[in-house]
Amino acid sequence: MNTRRIRAGRHELVLHTLQEKSGDALLLLHALWGSNRDWSTDASPWPGPVFALDFSGHGESQWVKGGGYYPELFAADADAALSEIGACHLLGAGIGAYVALLLAGARPDDVRGAVLTAGRGLAGQGPVPDFDDMVRRSDGALEAFAAPRDAPTATDPMVAMVETDVRPLDYACAFGRRARRIVLAGSGEPAAWWKALREVPAVTEVAASGDAVRSAATVFHPATLSTKPAQG
Amino acid sequence: MDRYGAPAMSEPSYPGAVPPERSRWLGSFGIRLRVHEWGDPAQTPVVLIHGMFDHARTFDVLAPLLAERFRVVALDARGHGDSEWATSYPWVLDVFTIIQVIRSTGRRAHLIGHSKGGGQSTDAAVRAPNDVLRLVNIDGFGPPAEGFRPNGDAHPQKTQPEYLADFLDWRRGANDRAGWRAYPTVEGLAERRKQQNPRLSLEWLRYFSAYGSRETERGFTWKADPHTIRGYGPWLPDWIAPGWEPLRAPMLALTGTEQDTWGPIPEELIAHRLRHVANVERASVDDTGHFVHLERPKETARVLLDWLGE
Repeated sequence: MNTRRIRAGRHELVLHTLQEKSGDALLLLHALWGSNRDWSTDASPWPGPVFALDFSGHGESQWVKGGGYYPELFAADADAALSEIGACHLLGAGIGAYVALLLAGARPDDVRGAVLTAGRGLAGQGPVPDFDDMVRRSDGALEAFAAPRDAPTATDPMVAMVETDVRPLDYACAFGRRARRIVLAGSGEPAAWWKALREVPAVTEVAASGDAVRSAATVFHPATLSTKPAQG
Repeated sequence: MDRYGAPAMSEPSYPGAVPPERSRWLGSFGIRLRVHEWGDPAQTPVVLIHGMFDHARTFDVLAPLLAERFRVVALDARGHGDSEWATSYPWVLDVFTIIQVIRSTGRRAHLIGHSKGGGQSTDAAVRAPNDVLRLVNIDGFGPPAEGFRPNGDAHPQKTQPEYLADFLDWRRGANDRAGWRAYPTVEGLAERRKQQNPRLSLEWLRYFSAYGSRETERGFTWKADPHTIRGYGPWLPDWIAPGWEPLRAPMLALTGTEQDTWGPIPEELIAHRLRHVANVERASVDDTGHFVHLERPKETARVLLDWLGE
Protein backbone atom coordinates (compact mmCIF):
# COMPACT_ATOMS: atom_id res chain seq x y z
CA MET A 1 0.00 0.00 0.00
CA ASN A 2 1.39 3.39 -0.98
CA THR A 3 1.23 6.30 1.38
CA ARG A 4 1.86 9.96 0.80
CA ARG A 5 2.05 12.94 3.12
CA ILE A 6 -0.20 15.85 2.26
CA ARG A 7 -0.35 19.32 3.76
CA ALA A 8 -3.54 20.47 5.47
CA GLY A 9 -3.22 23.93 7.00
CA ARG A 10 -0.39 23.77 9.53
CA HIS A 11 -0.12 20.03 9.83
CA GLU A 12 0.51 16.95 7.73
CA LEU A 13 -1.85 14.12 6.97
CA VAL A 14 -1.24 10.68 5.53
CA LEU A 15 -3.22 9.55 2.49
CA HIS A 16 -3.08 5.82 1.77
CA THR A 17 -3.61 4.29 -1.65
CA LEU A 18 -5.51 1.04 -1.19
CA GLN A 19 -5.90 0.32 -4.86
CA GLU A 20 -4.16 1.72 -7.94
CA LYS A 21 -6.38 1.37 -10.96
CA SER A 22 -7.41 3.89 -13.59
CA GLY A 23 -10.95 5.20 -13.47
CA ASP A 24 -13.30 6.94 -11.08
CA ALA A 25 -11.62 7.55 -7.69
CA LEU A 26 -13.07 6.68 -4.28
CA LEU A 27 -11.93 8.40 -1.06
CA LEU A 28 -12.58 6.60 2.24
CA LEU A 29 -13.16 8.66 5.41
CA HIS A 30 -13.00 6.73 8.68
CA ALA A 31 -15.04 7.12 11.88
CA LEU A 32 -13.96 9.05 14.98
CA TRP A 33 -11.19 7.18 16.87
CA GLY A 34 -10.54 5.12 13.70
CA SER A 35 -7.97 5.13 10.89
CA ASN A 36 -7.29 3.80 7.38
CA ARG A 37 -7.01 0.34 9.00
CA ASP A 38 -10.79 0.32 9.53
CA TRP A 39 -11.31 -0.47 5.86
CA SER A 40 -10.94 -3.86 4.22
CA THR A 41 -7.68 -4.09 2.31
CA ASP A 42 -9.64 -5.64 -0.57
CA ALA A 43 -10.90 -2.66 -2.53
CA SER A 44 -11.38 -4.68 -5.71
CA PRO A 45 -15.17 -4.20 -5.96
CA TRP A 46 -14.50 -0.51 -6.79
CA PRO A 47 -13.59 -0.04 -10.47
CA GLY A 48 -11.02 2.75 -9.96
CA PRO A 49 -8.34 3.98 -7.56
CA VAL A 50 -9.22 3.84 -3.85
CA PHE A 51 -7.68 6.15 -1.25
CA ALA A 52 -8.04 6.14 2.55
CA LEU A 53 -7.30 9.28 4.57
CA ASP A 54 -6.18 9.39 8.19
CA PHE A 55 -7.90 12.44 9.69
CA SER A 56 -5.74 14.73 11.79
CA GLY A 57 -5.18 13.26 15.27
CA HIS A 58 -5.81 9.75 13.89
CA GLY A 59 -3.75 6.91 12.42
CA GLU A 60 -0.45 8.12 10.97
CA SER A 61 -1.52 11.75 10.55
CA GLN A 62 -0.25 14.51 12.82
CA TRP A 63 -2.12 15.72 15.87
CA VAL A 64 -3.26 19.32 15.67
CA LYS A 65 -1.33 21.56 18.02
CA GLY A 66 -3.58 22.70 20.83
CA GLY A 67 -6.16 19.99 20.25
CA GLY A 68 -8.86 21.94 18.41
CA TYR A 69 -10.80 19.25 16.55
CA TYR A 70 -14.20 19.85 14.98
CA PRO A 71 -16.13 18.49 12.00
CA GLU A 72 -15.25 21.34 9.65
CA LEU A 73 -11.54 20.86 10.37
CA PHE A 74 -11.89 17.22 9.32
CA ALA A 75 -13.74 18.49 6.24
CA ALA A 76 -10.66 20.62 5.47
CA ASP A 77 -8.54 17.47 5.90
CA ALA A 78 -10.70 15.65 3.37
CA ASP A 79 -10.60 18.70 1.10
CA ALA A 80 -6.78 18.56 1.15
CA ALA A 81 -7.05 14.95 -0.07
CA LEU A 82 -9.60 16.04 -2.68
CA SER A 83 -7.19 18.65 -4.06
CA GLU A 84 -4.58 15.88 -4.31
CA ILE A 85 -6.67 13.25 -6.10
CA GLY A 86 -9.21 15.36 -7.99
CA ALA A 87 -12.93 14.75 -8.45
CA CYS A 88 -14.09 11.55 -6.77
CA HIS A 89 -16.77 9.70 -4.86
CA LEU A 90 -16.72 9.58 -1.06
CA LEU A 91 -17.43 6.78 1.38
CA GLY A 92 -17.60 7.82 5.04
CA ALA A 93 -18.27 6.14 8.38
CA GLY A 94 -19.47 8.00 11.51
CA ILE A 95 -17.75 11.40 11.59
CA GLY A 96 -16.33 10.43 8.18
CA ALA A 97 -19.91 10.18 6.95
CA TYR A 98 -20.71 13.62 8.35
CA VAL A 99 -17.56 15.01 6.71
CA ALA A 100 -18.51 13.35 3.41
CA LEU A 101 -21.87 15.13 3.65
CA LEU A 102 -20.21 18.49 4.37
CA LEU A 103 -17.74 18.11 1.52
CA ALA A 104 -20.39 16.89 -0.93
CA GLY A 105 -22.41 20.04 -0.18
CA ALA A 106 -19.47 22.46 -0.17
CA ARG A 107 -17.70 21.01 -3.24
CA PRO A 108 -20.52 19.71 -5.47
CA ASP A 109 -18.34 20.12 -8.58
CA ASP A 110 -15.68 17.78 -7.22
CA VAL A 111 -17.69 15.30 -5.16
CA ARG A 112 -19.70 13.12 -7.54
CA GLY A 113 -21.59 11.43 -4.74
CA ALA A 114 -21.21 10.12 -1.20
CA VAL A 115 -22.24 6.97 0.64
CA LEU A 116 -22.76 7.49 4.36
CA THR A 117 -22.37 4.54 6.77
CA ALA A 118 -22.66 4.19 10.56
CA GLY A 119 -19.82 4.76 13.04
CA ARG A 120 -18.59 6.99 15.86
CA GLY A 121 -18.89 10.73 15.49
CA LEU A 122 -20.96 13.63 16.65
CA ALA A 123 -24.54 12.85 17.62
CA GLY A 124 -25.81 16.18 16.30
CA GLN A 125 -28.71 18.00 17.85
CA GLY A 126 -31.22 20.55 16.96
CA PRO A 127 -32.72 22.75 15.77
CA VAL A 128 -31.45 24.29 19.03
CA PRO A 129 -28.82 22.29 20.96
CA ASP A 130 -29.60 20.80 24.35
CA PHE A 131 -27.57 23.23 26.43
CA ASP A 132 -28.36 21.52 29.74
CA ASP A 133 -26.87 18.34 28.28
CA MET A 134 -23.75 20.26 27.26
CA VAL A 135 -23.36 21.49 30.85
CA ARG A 136 -23.73 17.93 32.19
CA ARG A 137 -21.05 16.70 29.78
CA SER A 138 -18.54 19.49 30.42
CA ASP A 139 -16.60 18.00 33.33
CA GLY A 140 -16.39 14.65 31.55
CA ALA A 141 -15.12 16.37 28.42
CA LEU A 142 -12.42 18.23 30.35
CA GLU A 143 -11.30 14.93 31.92
CA ALA A 144 -11.24 13.19 28.55
CA PHE A 145 -9.11 15.97 27.06
CA ALA A 146 -6.63 15.62 29.94
CA ALA A 147 -5.90 11.96 29.04
CA PRO A 148 -2.21 11.16 28.38
CA ARG A 149 -0.88 12.72 25.19
CA ASP A 150 2.46 10.92 25.03
CA ALA A 151 1.62 8.01 22.72
CA PRO A 152 2.43 9.26 19.20
CA THR A 153 0.75 6.39 17.36
CA ALA A 154 -2.50 6.52 19.34
CA THR A 155 -5.44 8.75 18.54
CA ASP A 156 -5.23 12.19 20.14
CA PRO A 157 -7.59 12.09 23.17
CA MET A 158 -8.68 15.62 22.24
CA VAL A 159 -10.75 14.22 19.36
CA ALA A 160 -13.26 13.45 22.15
CA MET A 161 -14.43 17.04 21.79
CA VAL A 162 -16.06 16.12 18.49
CA GLU A 163 -18.34 13.68 20.30
CA THR A 164 -19.67 16.48 22.49
CA ASP A 165 -19.93 18.94 19.61
CA VAL A 166 -23.35 19.87 18.29
CA ARG A 167 -24.59 20.90 14.89
CA PRO A 168 -28.17 21.88 14.08
CA LEU A 169 -30.22 19.50 11.98
CA ASP A 170 -30.98 22.07 9.32
CA TYR A 171 -27.21 22.53 8.91
CA ALA A 172 -26.86 18.90 7.81
CA CYS A 173 -29.87 19.26 5.53
CA ALA A 174 -28.45 22.38 3.83
CA PHE A 175 -25.44 20.32 2.72
CA GLY A 176 -27.65 17.43 1.67
CA ARG A 177 -29.69 19.73 -0.57
CA ARG A 178 -26.59 21.12 -2.31
CA ALA A 179 -24.83 17.78 -2.84
CA ARG A 180 -25.07 15.96 -6.16
CA ARG A 181 -25.97 12.66 -4.55
CA ILE A 182 -26.10 11.39 -0.96
CA VAL A 183 -26.84 7.73 -0.20
CA LEU A 184 -27.50 6.56 3.36
CA ALA A 185 -26.36 3.01 4.09
CA GLY A 186 -26.64 2.92 7.86
CA SER A 187 -27.22 0.32 10.51
CA GLY A 188 -28.34 0.54 14.12
CA GLU A 189 -30.02 3.58 15.68
CA PRO A 190 -29.19 6.57 13.45
CA ALA A 191 -28.10 9.97 14.76
CA ALA A 192 -30.62 12.81 14.71
CA TRP A 193 -28.94 14.50 11.73
CA TRP A 194 -29.13 11.24 9.79
CA LYS A 195 -32.87 10.99 10.36
CA ALA A 196 -33.30 14.62 9.30
CA LEU A 197 -31.44 13.95 6.05
CA ARG A 198 -34.08 11.39 5.05
CA GLU A 199 -36.46 14.31 4.44
CA VAL A 200 -34.14 15.87 1.83
CA PRO A 201 -35.42 14.95 -1.67
CA ALA A 202 -32.03 14.19 -3.24
CA VAL A 203 -31.04 11.82 -0.43
CA THR A 204 -31.70 8.12 -0.96
CA GLU A 205 -31.26 5.12 1.31
CA VAL A 206 -30.02 1.58 0.69
CA ALA A 207 -29.67 -1.45 2.97
CA ALA A 208 -26.36 -1.55 4.84
CA SER A 209 -23.89 -4.19 3.80
CA GLY A 210 -20.89 -5.69 5.59
CA ASP A 211 -18.52 -4.55 2.88
CA ALA A 212 -18.79 -0.79 2.62
CA VAL A 213 -16.62 -0.47 -0.51
CA ARG A 214 -18.83 -3.05 -2.26
CA SER A 215 -21.88 -1.03 -1.17
CA ALA A 216 -20.41 2.09 -2.70
CA ALA A 217 -19.62 0.21 -5.92
CA THR A 218 -23.15 -1.20 -6.00
CA VAL A 219 -24.59 2.30 -5.69
CA PHE A 220 -22.32 4.20 -8.07
CA HIS A 221 -21.06 1.55 -10.52
CA PRO A 222 -23.69 -1.21 -10.64
CA ALA A 223 -22.92 -2.11 -14.28
CA THR A 224 -19.24 -2.73 -13.53
CA LEU A 225 -20.10 -4.92 -10.58
CA SER A 226 -22.63 -7.05 -12.43
CA THR A 227 -19.99 -8.03 -14.98
CA LYS A 228 -17.27 -8.62 -12.37
CA PRO A 229 -18.65 -10.63 -9.45
CA ALA A 230 -16.55 -10.53 -6.29
CA GLN A 231 -14.21 -13.39 -5.61
CA GLY A 232 -14.97 -15.85 -2.81
CA MET B 1 15.94 55.74 18.28
CA ASP B 2 13.97 52.87 19.68
CA ARG B 3 11.27 50.73 18.11
CA TYR B 4 8.62 53.43 18.68
CA GLY B 5 10.46 55.67 16.29
CA ALA B 6 11.16 57.96 19.26
CA PRO B 7 14.17 58.58 21.47
CA ALA B 8 15.16 55.42 23.32
CA MET B 9 13.17 54.65 26.46
CA SER B 10 13.15 51.64 28.73
CA GLU B 11 9.68 50.09 29.02
CA PRO B 12 6.43 51.25 27.46
CA SER B 13 4.41 53.31 29.90
CA TYR B 14 0.90 54.66 30.20
CA PRO B 15 -0.71 56.62 33.03
CA GLY B 16 -2.01 54.18 35.66
CA ALA B 17 -0.59 51.08 33.95
CA VAL B 18 1.10 48.67 36.35
CA PRO B 19 2.97 45.62 35.03
CA PRO B 20 1.87 42.24 36.46
CA GLU B 21 3.31 41.30 39.85
CA ARG B 22 3.57 37.64 38.89
CA SER B 23 3.50 35.73 35.59
CA ARG B 24 3.25 31.99 34.93
CA TRP B 25 2.61 29.46 32.21
CA LEU B 26 -0.45 27.26 32.07
CA GLY B 27 -0.39 24.01 30.09
CA SER B 28 -3.66 23.82 28.18
CA PHE B 29 -4.53 20.92 25.87
CA GLY B 30 -0.99 20.67 24.50
CA ILE B 31 0.06 24.33 24.31
CA ARG B 32 1.44 26.87 26.79
CA LEU B 33 -0.62 29.87 27.78
CA ARG B 34 0.59 33.01 29.56
CA VAL B 35 -1.12 34.08 32.78
CA HIS B 36 -0.42 37.35 34.63
CA GLU B 37 -1.41 38.21 38.20
CA TRP B 38 -1.78 41.25 40.41
CA GLY B 39 -2.72 41.46 44.10
CA ASP B 40 -2.67 39.29 47.20
CA PRO B 41 -2.77 35.57 46.25
CA ALA B 42 -4.78 34.86 49.41
CA GLN B 43 -7.72 36.98 48.21
CA THR B 44 -10.66 35.79 46.12
CA PRO B 45 -9.57 35.46 42.46
CA VAL B 46 -10.98 37.65 39.73
CA VAL B 47 -10.23 36.20 36.29
CA LEU B 48 -10.05 38.65 33.35
CA ILE B 49 -10.64 37.47 29.77
CA HIS B 50 -9.82 39.77 26.86
CA GLY B 51 -11.48 39.94 23.45
CA MET B 52 -10.48 39.11 19.87
CA PHE B 53 -6.96 40.30 18.93
CA ASP B 54 -6.44 41.86 22.38
CA HIS B 55 -4.15 40.49 25.07
CA ALA B 56 -3.82 40.23 28.87
CA ARG B 57 -1.67 43.36 29.18
CA THR B 58 -4.67 45.43 28.07
CA PHE B 59 -5.74 44.98 31.72
CA ASP B 60 -2.62 46.78 33.04
CA VAL B 61 -4.73 49.75 34.14
CA LEU B 62 -7.89 47.99 35.33
CA ALA B 63 -6.19 45.06 37.09
CA PRO B 64 -4.25 47.05 39.73
CA LEU B 65 -7.45 48.90 40.63
CA LEU B 66 -9.24 45.59 41.24
CA ALA B 67 -6.15 44.18 42.98
CA GLU B 68 -6.80 46.46 45.94
CA ARG B 69 -9.34 43.86 47.00
CA PHE B 70 -8.81 40.76 44.84
CA ARG B 71 -6.23 38.37 43.39
CA VAL B 72 -6.47 39.42 39.75
CA VAL B 73 -5.62 36.83 37.09
CA ALA B 74 -5.47 37.75 33.38
CA LEU B 75 -5.06 35.23 30.57
CA ASP B 76 -3.47 35.61 27.15
CA ALA B 77 -5.99 33.52 25.22
CA ARG B 78 -4.62 30.79 22.96
CA GLY B 79 -3.06 32.39 19.91
CA HIS B 80 -2.96 35.83 21.57
CA GLY B 81 -0.28 37.81 23.44
CA ASP B 82 2.55 35.60 24.66
CA SER B 83 0.49 32.39 24.57
CA GLU B 84 1.37 29.81 21.94
CA TRP B 85 -0.37 29.56 18.61
CA ALA B 86 -2.55 26.52 17.97
CA THR B 87 -3.51 24.76 14.78
CA SER B 88 -7.16 25.75 15.10
CA TYR B 89 -9.37 27.83 17.35
CA PRO B 90 -12.81 26.38 18.05
CA TRP B 91 -14.86 28.51 20.45
CA VAL B 92 -15.48 25.70 22.92
CA LEU B 93 -11.75 25.25 23.63
CA ASP B 94 -11.45 28.89 24.70
CA VAL B 95 -14.42 28.26 26.98
CA PHE B 96 -12.81 25.18 28.54
CA THR B 97 -9.51 27.09 28.86
CA ILE B 98 -11.24 29.74 30.97
CA ILE B 99 -12.48 26.98 33.29
CA GLN B 100 -8.89 25.67 33.48
CA VAL B 101 -7.58 29.11 34.48
CA ILE B 102 -10.16 29.41 37.25
CA ARG B 103 -9.33 25.91 38.52
CA SER B 104 -5.60 26.74 38.41
CA THR B 105 -6.23 29.23 41.24
CA GLY B 106 -7.61 26.47 43.44
CA ARG B 107 -10.59 28.66 44.35
CA ARG B 108 -13.96 29.71 43.09
CA ALA B 109 -13.52 32.97 41.20
CA HIS B 110 -15.30 35.99 39.87
CA LEU B 111 -15.11 36.08 36.09
CA ILE B 112 -14.95 39.21 33.91
CA GLY B 113 -14.81 39.01 30.12
CA HIS B 114 -14.86 41.62 27.39
CA SER B 115 -16.35 41.30 23.89
CA LYS B 116 -15.63 37.80 22.53
CA GLY B 117 -14.10 37.07 25.95
CA GLY B 118 -17.39 38.18 27.54
CA GLY B 119 -19.38 35.70 25.50
CA GLN B 120 -16.87 32.96 26.20
CA SER B 121 -16.80 33.82 29.92
CA THR B 122 -20.58 33.57 29.99
CA ASP B 123 -20.41 30.15 28.34
CA ALA B 124 -17.69 29.11 30.84
CA ALA B 125 -19.91 30.18 33.74
CA VAL B 126 -22.75 28.17 32.18
CA ARG B 127 -20.61 25.05 31.85
CA ALA B 128 -18.81 25.31 35.21
CA PRO B 129 -21.54 26.42 37.63
CA ASN B 130 -19.52 25.42 40.71
CA ASP B 131 -16.44 27.43 39.74
CA VAL B 132 -17.83 30.90 39.07
CA LEU B 133 -19.01 33.21 41.86
CA ARG B 134 -20.15 36.28 39.91
CA LEU B 135 -19.89 37.05 36.21
CA VAL B 136 -19.36 40.34 34.41
CA ASN B 137 -19.93 40.46 30.68
CA ILE B 138 -18.55 43.68 29.18
CA ASP B 139 -20.25 44.18 25.81
CA GLY B 140 -19.94 40.55 24.81
CA PHE B 141 -23.50 39.76 23.83
CA GLY B 142 -22.77 38.35 20.41
CA PRO B 143 -23.04 39.84 16.95
CA PRO B 144 -26.29 40.90 15.33
CA ALA B 145 -27.87 38.18 13.17
CA GLU B 146 -26.20 39.67 10.09
CA GLY B 147 -22.77 39.99 11.80
CA PHE B 148 -20.74 43.13 12.48
CA ARG B 149 -20.44 45.26 9.36
CA PRO B 150 -18.49 48.34 10.39
CA ASN B 151 -17.92 49.56 6.83
CA GLY B 152 -21.53 49.24 5.76
CA ASP B 153 -20.57 46.02 4.01
CA ALA B 154 -23.75 44.57 2.52
CA HIS B 155 -22.75 41.17 1.22
CA PRO B 156 -25.73 38.92 0.55
CA GLN B 157 -26.22 36.26 3.22
CA LYS B 158 -24.40 33.08 2.22
CA THR B 159 -25.67 29.57 2.75
CA GLN B 160 -23.84 27.30 5.18
CA PRO B 161 -22.31 25.20 2.37
CA GLU B 162 -21.02 28.41 0.76
CA TYR B 163 -19.48 29.47 4.08
CA LEU B 164 -17.77 26.10 4.37
CA ALA B 165 -16.49 26.36 0.78
CA ASP B 166 -14.95 29.75 1.69
CA PHE B 167 -13.32 28.16 4.74
CA LEU B 168 -11.96 25.30 2.65
CA ASP B 169 -10.55 27.72 0.07
CA TRP B 170 -8.89 29.71 2.86
CA ARG B 171 -7.42 26.55 4.35
CA ARG B 172 -6.00 25.48 0.98
CA GLY B 173 -4.06 28.75 0.75
CA ALA B 174 -3.33 29.23 4.45
CA ASN B 175 0.27 28.06 4.23
CA ASP B 176 1.15 30.37 1.37
CA ARG B 177 0.17 33.58 3.10
CA ALA B 178 2.81 35.55 4.94
CA GLY B 179 0.53 36.45 7.85
CA TRP B 180 0.28 39.92 9.30
CA ARG B 181 1.65 42.90 7.50
CA ALA B 182 4.90 44.09 9.09
CA TYR B 183 5.40 47.72 10.15
CA PRO B 184 8.78 49.44 10.57
CA THR B 185 7.82 50.75 14.01
CA VAL B 186 5.27 50.03 16.74
CA GLU B 187 3.84 53.46 15.99
CA GLY B 188 2.65 52.09 12.66
CA LEU B 189 0.75 49.31 14.41
CA ALA B 190 -0.82 51.80 16.82
CA GLU B 191 -1.97 53.98 13.94
CA ARG B 192 -3.42 50.97 12.14
CA ARG B 193 -5.40 49.98 15.20
CA LYS B 194 -6.52 53.57 15.64
CA GLN B 195 -8.26 53.30 12.26
CA GLN B 196 -10.23 50.30 13.54
CA ASN B 197 -10.94 51.70 17.01
CA PRO B 198 -11.05 55.50 16.64
CA ARG B 199 -12.35 56.00 20.20
CA LEU B 200 -9.09 54.70 21.73
CA SER B 201 -6.30 57.25 22.23
CA LEU B 202 -3.08 56.92 20.27
CA GLU B 203 -1.20 57.06 23.57
CA TRP B 204 -3.06 54.00 24.82
CA LEU B 205 -2.71 52.20 21.48
CA ARG B 206 1.08 52.69 21.59
CA TYR B 207 1.10 50.90 24.94
CA PHE B 208 -1.29 48.24 23.64
CA SER B 209 0.78 47.71 20.49
CA ALA B 210 4.09 47.54 22.34
CA TYR B 211 2.91 44.48 24.27
CA GLY B 212 0.76 43.15 21.45
CA SER B 213 3.52 42.97 18.86
CA ARG B 214 6.90 41.38 18.30
CA GLU B 215 9.88 42.29 16.15
CA THR B 216 10.53 39.95 13.24
CA GLU B 217 12.94 40.00 10.33
CA ARG B 218 10.24 41.79 8.32
CA GLY B 219 9.51 44.40 11.01
CA PHE B 220 6.93 44.67 13.81
CA THR B 221 3.89 42.38 13.55
CA TRP B 222 1.00 41.53 15.85
CA LYS B 223 1.62 38.63 18.22
CA ALA B 224 -1.94 37.37 17.74
CA ASP B 225 -2.33 34.47 15.34
CA PRO B 226 -4.28 35.62 12.25
CA HIS B 227 -5.90 32.17 12.19
CA THR B 228 -7.82 32.87 15.43
CA ILE B 229 -10.56 34.58 13.47
CA ARG B 230 -11.34 31.26 11.78
CA GLY B 231 -12.88 29.49 14.76
CA TYR B 232 -15.22 27.75 12.37
CA GLY B 233 -18.58 26.37 13.40
CA PRO B 234 -22.18 26.93 12.48
CA TRP B 235 -22.99 28.64 15.78
CA LEU B 236 -26.02 30.81 15.20
CA PRO B 237 -26.64 34.16 16.88
CA ASP B 238 -30.14 32.84 17.61
CA TRP B 239 -28.61 30.23 19.93
CA ILE B 240 -26.84 32.75 22.16
CA ALA B 241 -29.82 33.57 24.34
CA PRO B 242 -31.12 30.00 24.90
CA GLY B 243 -27.51 28.92 25.50
CA TRP B 244 -27.39 31.21 28.53
CA GLU B 245 -30.56 29.88 30.15
CA PRO B 246 -28.72 27.35 32.37
CA LEU B 247 -26.50 30.15 33.81
CA ARG B 248 -26.56 30.11 37.63
CA ALA B 249 -23.98 32.76 38.50
CA PRO B 250 -25.34 36.32 38.83
CA MET B 251 -24.40 38.37 35.76
CA LEU B 252 -23.59 42.04 35.46
CA ALA B 253 -24.14 43.13 31.85
CA LEU B 254 -21.90 46.17 31.37
CA THR B 255 -22.01 48.32 28.26
CA GLY B 256 -20.84 51.66 26.98
CA THR B 257 -23.17 54.45 25.95
CA GLU B 258 -21.65 55.39 22.57
CA GLN B 259 -21.76 53.62 19.22
CA ASP B 260 -18.44 52.01 18.33
CA THR B 261 -16.87 49.66 15.81
CA TRP B 262 -17.80 46.32 17.42
CA GLY B 263 -20.71 47.28 19.65
CA PRO B 264 -22.77 47.84 21.58
CA ILE B 265 -25.37 46.04 19.51
CA PRO B 266 -28.88 47.55 19.48
CA GLU B 267 -30.41 47.82 22.94
CA GLU B 268 -33.48 45.76 21.98
CA LEU B 269 -31.19 42.91 20.89
CA ILE B 270 -29.22 42.99 24.16
CA ALA B 271 -32.50 43.04 26.09
CA HIS B 272 -33.83 40.14 24.02
CA ARG B 273 -30.75 38.01 24.71
CA LEU B 274 -30.65 38.90 28.42
CA ARG B 275 -34.28 37.90 28.89
CA HIS B 276 -32.95 34.33 29.02
CA VAL B 277 -30.63 35.09 31.94
CA ALA B 278 -32.45 34.59 35.24
CA ASN B 279 -30.22 36.75 37.45
CA VAL B 280 -28.86 39.74 35.57
CA GLU B 281 -28.24 43.39 36.37
CA ARG B 282 -27.47 46.10 33.83
CA ALA B 283 -24.91 48.88 34.15
CA SER B 284 -23.19 51.30 31.81
CA VAL B 285 -20.25 53.66 31.92
CA ASP B 286 -20.92 57.07 30.38
CA ASP B 287 -18.97 58.24 27.37
CA THR B 288 -17.53 54.86 26.48
CA GLY B 289 -17.93 52.70 23.39
CA HIS B 290 -17.05 49.02 23.01
CA PHE B 291 -13.85 49.18 25.11
CA VAL B 292 -15.55 50.31 28.31
CA HIS B 293 -12.70 49.30 30.64
CA LEU B 294 -9.99 50.81 28.41
CA GLU B 295 -11.69 54.13 27.88
CA ARG B 296 -12.69 54.73 31.51
CA PRO B 297 -10.80 52.25 33.72
CA LYS B 298 -11.36 54.08 37.02
CA GLU B 299 -15.11 54.42 36.54
CA THR B 300 -15.29 50.82 35.33
CA ALA B 301 -13.34 49.58 38.36
CA ARG B 302 -15.73 51.44 40.64
CA VAL B 303 -18.74 49.74 39.03
CA LEU B 304 -17.03 46.33 39.21
CA LEU B 305 -15.89 46.68 42.83
CA ASP B 306 -19.37 47.82 43.86
CA TRP B 307 -20.96 44.85 42.17
CA LEU B 308 -18.46 42.17 43.19
CA GLY B 309 -18.64 43.23 46.86
CA GLU B 310 -16.19 41.92 49.43
